[in-house]
Amino acid sequence: MEIPLAQEVIFGLVIGSYIALGAIGFTLVYGLVNMINFAHGEFITIGAFVGYLAVAEVGLPLPVAVFVALGGTAVVGWGIARITFEPMNDAGAVPLLLMSIGLGLVLRNGIRVIAGPDRRSIRTDVATYRFDDLGFFVTSQQLFIIGLTLASVLVLHLFLSRTMLGIAMRATADNEDLALVSGIDTRRVRNAVWLAASGLAGVAGVMLGTAQAASPTVGFGQLLLIITAAILGGAGSPYGAVAGSYILGIAVTVSVPFLQRLEETLALNLELTALNSTMAFVILIVVLLVRPGGLVSAEVRTS
Amino acid sequence: MSLLEVRDLEAGYGDLQVLFGVDLEVAEGEYVAIVGPNGAGKSTAMKAVVGLAAHMGGEITFDGEDIAGLPPQNIIERGVGYVPQSDNVFPTLTVEENLTIGAYLLGDLPDERREVVLEQFPILGERPDQRAGNLSGGQQQMLAMARALIPDPPLLLLDEPSAGLAPDLVEEMFDHIDRINERGVTVLIVEQNAKTALRRCDRGYVLAQGENRYTDDGDALLSDPEVRQQFLGG
Repeated sequence: MEIPLAQEVIFGLVIGSYIALGAIGFTLVYGLVNMINFAHGEFITIGAFVGYLAVAEVGLPLPVAVFVALGGTAVVGWGIARITFEPMNDAGAVPLLLMSIGLGLVLRNGIRVIAGPDRRSIRTDVATYRFDDLGFFVTSQQLFIIGLTLASVLVLHLFLSRTMLGIAMRATADNEDLALVSGIDTRRVRNAVWLAASGLAGVAGVMLGTAQAASPTVGFGQLLLIITAAILGGAGSPYGAVAGSYILGIAVTVSVPFLQRLEETLALNLELTALNSTMAFVILIVVLLVRPGGLVSAEVRTS
Repeated sequence: MSLLEVRDLEAGYGDLQVLFGVDLEVAEGEYVAIVGPNGAGKSTAMKAVVGLAAHMGGEITFDGEDIAGLPPQNIIERGVGYVPQSDNVFPTLTVEENLTIGAYLLGDLPDERREVVLEQFPILGERPDQRAGNLSGGQQQMLAMARALIPDPPLLLLDEPSAGLAPDLVEEMFDHIDRINERGVTVLIVEQNAKTALRRCDRGYVLAQGENRYTDDGDALLSDPEVRQQFLGG
């Protein structure tokens, strides 16, 4: 059966949503701590498990569990960063990258040992709204995920543009030396970045826990898409990361009917639709070749 | 009493020592220029004062307090404004946000300070929402000075404020500095444009190879035959 385009776009928006919250945190850390955090996927996994425990064990309603995961993951992520990354902050990008790869491995397997390899789904009541005339349906779960992401992005935007700490964060990402001689306490800024990045990862984790399941590799499984979205948007730019995530999410899903039609037209029998997740990286390669700085930074560079 | 006093300053970066005993003295309300050839250590002396270059020996006293070796934030906090030579605005932030960052240590941007600073640089008030990176070189320099002036620092350090500006803009920039000084801010500048700086300032220092060479009133240095021949191109 052929799935209508509108339906694919909705699926794309859902995928884009949880990539977006992961990618914002990843790109903030990249821009401000000057490191590529390969353990960022595990922060998402931690969020998924915190959300699962809050709903399944404690019996909290899902919206409350979101805030628990936000706060819990923010503190845990910040604590992990304080112990592992902060002491070697001046060591440079490569040692930090290696540390994050090792840390990710340790966390992933630590979670596997404690929680077991099972997939634990965060169960919620799902209502489905059908729009048969327009040829698509949308579930309450999908609306929740998309709405929660848009709300998170809005709050982040207000923080970055209206508060002194948020503006100081963008200033530090622009030029750390100038930030220092403007009196900005860059350590405080880094702390805030870890809290924000981990907290958003926690929210992404809850979303993945409801849409898929909390498992030891649920966050790691998204990491490549997250990194791609961040680069696509221009590494270091949170707004670019959001744009990159939705472009990626929609490209992955919309390419399914496109590939299907291509296969039919060419009368092939290759199961081309299995290539849909590869489309994300095809886009990345094209963007890097045409606009190496990503979507956002080109605008900055021309000035 | 001097607002800023530097004695036998040794400073540099990592293993590289650039200054080998520099003395500077800036009295309250004074306008002092540091000139000298490339590589003399002019900028390094300024960076050592704000804590950006490594302090390797000697004394730095600001307002009677020892500030040598302190991190930049603590030095700025005591009332030192600093404008680096290049990359001195936050390019992706708007003009207004750059000014807001100037007030970081105050918590928020007081309207009264914004007005005072915009009165000095009216062009910035005309484009509060423009990205700083899209401003012209001269406008960026004004924004950088404006940002540093927001907390009302008693001492303003300017590292080559005329670098890269067209000749007519250079004079305009020096006019701005005169006005800042007339309003009671003590000014210390480092300048490649030695003749203009010495003509405008109260007192000048000539540095060479990381040490003091000459110190006198600006006009006296300008007319000193030795200084003219060695450092001002005859």
